[in-house]
This record gives sequence, C-alpha cells and structure tokens, in this order.
Amino acid sequence: MNLFDKFEDKAVVYNQLSDIGKNPFTVVMEEIISPTRAKIKGRETVLAGTHNYLGLTFQEEAIKAAQTALAEQGTGTTGSRFANGTFSGHRHLEEQLADYLGLGHCVVFSTGYQANLGAISALAHPGSDVILIDADCHACIYDGCQLSGAETIRFRHNSPESLDKRMARLDPELKGRLVCIEGMYSMFGDVAPIKEFAEVTHKHGGMLYVDEAHSFGVYGSTGRGCSEADDMMEHIDFYSGTFSKSLASIGGFVASRHKELEYLRFSSRPYMFTASPSPANIASATAALTAIRSKHEIRTKLWENVARLHGSIKQLGFTLAADPAPVISVLFPNREIAFAAWSFLLEQGVYVNLAIPPGTPNATSLLRLSVSAAHNGDDLDKIVAAYNGMAAQFVDAK
Amino acid sequence: MSAIQEDNDLVFHKICSLIEPINQKGLKLTRETDFIADLEAESVAVLDVVMEIEDNYDISIPMNVISEIKTIGELVDAIHEIKKQ
Ligand SMILES: Cc1ncc(COP(=O)(O)O)c(C=O)c1O
Repeated sequence: MNLFDKFEDKAVVYNQLSDIGKNPFTVVMEEIISPTRAKIKGRETVLAGTHNYLGLTFQEEAIKAAQTALAEQGTGTTGSRFANGTFSGHRHLEEQLADYLGLGHCVVFSTGYQANLGAISALAHPGSDVILIDADCHACIYDGCQLSGAETIRFRHNSPESLDKRMARLDPELKGRLVCIEGMYSMFGDVAPIKEFAEVTHKHGGMLYVDEAHSFGVYGSTGRGCSEADDMMEHIDFYSGTFSKSLASIGGFVASRHKELEYLRFSSRPYMFTASPSPANIASATAALTAIRSKHEIRTKLWENVARLHGSIKQLGFTLAADPAPVISVLFPNREIAFAAWSFLLEQGVYVNLAIPPGTPNATSLLRLSVSAAHNGDDLDKIVAAYNGMAAQFVDAK
Repeated sequence: MSAIQEDNDLVFHKICSLIEPINQKGLKLTRETDFIADLEAESVAVLDVVMEIEDNYDISIPMNVISEIKTIGELVDAIHEIKKQ
C-alpha cells in the first residue's frame, strides 16, 4: 500500500487513452491561430470547446492594454493584496465591475475558483450557519462549503420547491442561511429560475449567492447575466464571476449590494494567502469589460451563432440537453459512444469537450459544444458538417 | 419485537428499496453493505440517492454527515438520529 495506489483505476484508463493517442485530457494546442482556431496534431482545428463565448481573447484593445501594463507595472505582483499591497489596477477593476453590475461592492480574486472558495468559506461558519447548494453546482462551490466547515445541504437541481422543503426544515436557531446557485450551468447549458430561488431564499430569511461564471457578459439585455435577464439584480445578495470566460483573462470576483462584502478582505483565506492577479491579467480583463459594456453587437452575434448551431444540430436528431444556449450539449447513451463521437469530431477538425461520469449531472455522457461570437461563417459550416457526419454514425447508436 | 427494532427494520427495508437503482450488481443488501466498496457506487450517485431518502422521510441529511457514512446500517442509524431531533 502506498499513496499512489488510489490513482490506479483511473490511471489505467488514462494511460490506455494516451497510448492510442486519443486522450481528451491531454490534447495539446500547438499553435493558437485565432479565438476559434488552433493547430492540434499539426492540423488546423475549429475550437468549439472553450469558454470564449464573446471571442475576446485576441481583441486589439485588450492585448494593447495588457502589453502596456506588462511594460509599465511588470510581470507579476509577487504577493497578496492583504500582505503585500494592492495595485491601483485591482481597485479600478473592482470599481468598474461594481459600477457595471449596479452593486455597491466588489472584491477581485486571483481565479474564479478562488472567488467562490473564498467568499463561501468566509461567509458561512460551522455551528451557526448552513449552506444550501444546487446539486449541480461547480466543484469550487462544493469546495467552498467544505473549507467553510458549515453544515451543507444539497437540493435538487433547478428546483426552488426542493430548496423550499429543505429550508422549511432548518433549525430556527440558525443564524445564517446561504443559498448557492449558478446562472447558466456549464454542462447542459440550462438556466436557473433565479426569481423563484430568490423568493424562496428570502422567505426563509436566507441570502442568495449566484455564480454567473458562464452567463456574465452573455445573458441579460446589457450582459449582466441571468440575474439581469430575470430582473433580479437588486434582489440577489452575492454575485460571483470569473475573468476566464467572457472576459478572456484570468481572475475572478464577487460583488454584492451589502457593504459587509468588504470584510472578506480580512477573513477570506483564498484572498489573503495567495498572489493577486498580475497587471496584464487585470488590464486585459478591464479592457474586455469595456468592450462588453459598449459593444452590444458582440452579444447579438453570439446569440445568432447559437440559434444557427442549435437549430442545425437539433435537426440531425440528436438528444440535446437544454434549450438554445451558448453551451450546446448532445447526450449519448454511454461513455464509449460519447468517446467515439468525440474522437470522430476531432478527426473532422472540430474540437469539443467530452464529459463523462463521474462528475456529470445524472451520470450522463455528453459532448459539450461552446459557441463563440468569434465563430465565423466558415467555422460554423465546418462544425455543422462535422455534426452531420457524426449523426450518420452515432444518432441511433445504443 | 420492540418498537425500536420494528422501526429499524422498516427504515432498513425502505432504504434498501430506494438504493436498488445503484445496486447494479444485484447484491443482497445487508446493514453491512458498503456503498463504495460493495456497491461500487460513485459518490455523486450516493448523494442523489440520499436526496430521495430525504424527501421520503422529510428530513435533511447534511453532506458533512453523509461523508462519514460508509454502510447501509450507518445510514439507517443516521436517519434515526436526525428523526429524533
Ligand atoms: C460555474 C463555475 N464557477 C467557477 C469557475 C472557476 O473559474 P476559474 O476558471 O476562473 O477558476 C468555473 C470554471 O471553471 C465554473 O464553471
């Protein structure tokens, strides 16, 4: 017996896939050609398995801003804001985000993972508080609950009724009740009924925390996410997001209408004990935010692409996981077929994400396609052609 | 048979019927059956079954409690413990 024994089962599968050169978890993009193209195994491939929803990774202003920050402020911050100081860029971005969201307060973290980990673990404490989370919440929300040590109860995915039952059972003596949901869920592309969740949460004296990692910049009339689309910006208690998807950088944030959010700066370990985001990351995220605020046509383009792809793929007879959304997931009967379909698409020059159990909702096997505003007509044609070929082989596969 | 013993048996049988979907190998379930070692259930599948059980008994079993539970017998005991409160 040693420390490595526990990895063995998974390692066998991993190594087998690597040996035949088809391990989805070791795909290397040898050259990044554009927001939607890369060379994989020497071959130009359409990228449809990113989170580059707005396609801003090569936006000119964002690259210039990052280059300037790099030249003027250096490559790294070399420390945490708590111990080593804040750069004015951190503050400026927090102000910009708070202003855009119409929420008074915002704290920037080094990744979206750390934003959720840091906020949830600081907000809820063992003994006095309870956290209720949607069953399909992202790993970092689960990890935030664990780090907090507070009692954690799961409710059924996207079911305000299931939450209602569980909140009704809670000990009235509890002090805090934190409810965590997401906006758009990244595996299926389904969206939370935020209004109903806010009603149930507040009826029971709780606070609602919405992770808009995948919906920020994408949903809502001005891109403020599913909370805006549901007209709930003034009602939710905490709003979290990441720079790593629509903002095309690295970092994360939590915003709130409650001024007490500022307490995180001296209570949240994942804020206090890790290096702050680099100047280049902050500068490009700030520039991308400006683009999101001023260029509504990017969002319009994304949703046009969503309509085209969702419509075309649906027609082919696949089982789709949700209504049209920037994530379009095709469900397969098992891992083997999903894997074969994934390999088929890559051979056709289209890269999507393979998602198989454990860790997928209801233990489903699926191929997850992410749509980008930067997908041009040629990209879309290639994706549709590849899915056409996949349909011929896999639609009726059992 | 004492009332407690009877209730124990009732809960045990009910739980066994709720667990059936993750008993893919068709094992005979006992109090000692281990979710991971015997049923080879994935931890998320166990969490999902627990939601069924919660709704059936109108109780909440926190994840912190679930993570300590290894066998069906321990789950039965946890349900009794929570029902008592
Ligand atoms: C729902 C959700 N929240 C948070 C994160 C973490 O974001 P980041 O990549 O910035 O750590 C992700 C992405 O991985 C996510 O899908």
